[in-house]
Amino acid sequence: MRTPATPKQRERGMEGTEISAEDFARYTGVSGEPKVAPTPLERDALRRFVQAIMDRDPLYYDDAYAMGTKYGGLVAPPLYPVHAFRPLPGGADPLDLLHDDPDADGSGGSDGVYFGLKPIPSPFKRLLNGGNEIEFYRCLAVGERCIAHARFADVTLKQGKSGAMLLTTIETRFTTEDGELLVINRQTLIWR
Amino acid sequence: MTRMAQLTFDDIEIGACIGTIDKGVMTTAHIFRWSAAVENFHRIHYDWRFATGHDQLPDVLVNGSWKQHVLVQLVKDALGPAGWLWKLKFRYKKMDIAGDSIRGRAEVVAKEVIDGLGFVTLRIVLTDQNDQVSTAGHAIGVLPVQGGRPVPYPFVRKPAYDALTLPADA
Repeated sequence: MRTPATPKQRERGMEGTEISAEDFARYTGVSGEPKVAPTPLERDALRRFVQAIMDRDPLYYDDAYAMGTKYGGLVAPPLYPVHAFRPLPGGADPLDLLHDDPDADGSGGSDGVYFGLKPIPSPFKRLLNGGNEIEFYRCLAVGERCIAHARFADVTLKQGKSGAMLLTTIETRFTTEDGELLVINRQTLIWR
Repeated sequence: MTRMAQLTFDDIEIGACIGTIDKGVMTTAHIFRWSAAVENFHRIHYDWRFATGHDQLPDVLVNGSWKQHVLVQLVKDALGPAGWLWKLKFRYKKMDIAGDSIRGRAEVVAKEVIDGLGFVTLRIVLTDQNDQVSTAGHAIGVLPVQGGRPVPYPFVRKPAYDALTLPADA
């Protein structure tokens, strides 16, 4: 089944584009290379993070308190692993694009979503967050490094009222370097 | 932070609100601090001219990625140190902008003992100063049953738990 672009989608540069469900379904199950956080969890990064989320739980900064808990030491908040992947010094600078394009949005792509997966080529330009489903098993401890293992759990082309849309669910399993499971994040992206 | 007495599964009733959170007004400084902490340089979160001009937004936006941590904190604190937030499912319903207040609450919609542990399904929402829901979803928390075994850490999923599913509609 081939689905032609709607008039609105053609206005956004999709004119003449034909898209088929089969083109996208083959991505379901495709995995990316594991992505390793550039540094282990550092106390200072953790301090800035918990100050930004305004969580004063002593588990995140009080060694004596944390030692006496089931965690046995300082840990990051449960969902921290999704933010453990920062650019390495000497690597690509996400702000370089602003030198050439003053209208660039500064986001530097969507690497906080794909975690090593290669984005699926498509004519769709608009991205909506279709929701998250997350499972928690363990917190990342100070000194531990996080690894992300991402795969396309589901890729489906659908016909909506205002045209075709691509629903993509990315499942990312975050583990320690020893393979201990921390978090599973399933994020649904809606491309239109 | 103020520590409350540890909640147990036996303490809670369906329909009860077991947790609230109030982050107050999200100023541009708060939003900027989050962007800096996670190195998110998307200009809609700190560049007013870009957000309102280029992207035609009403103001700079509170990050959705920040709000998901507020949901986690809401449930984590409600369950207490002996509990465990196992599952979280949510969708963003509307944008929050600079100047909005962010509040949240967690209400019990179901409870069940499996394998000697108390599983609690919660409806969770974040609202603004006008009680407009910006983020909504459900969570499954695990609590000790009075006189029972502690919730294991790290948490281990068992096949018996698979019967518990998060409600589809937030």
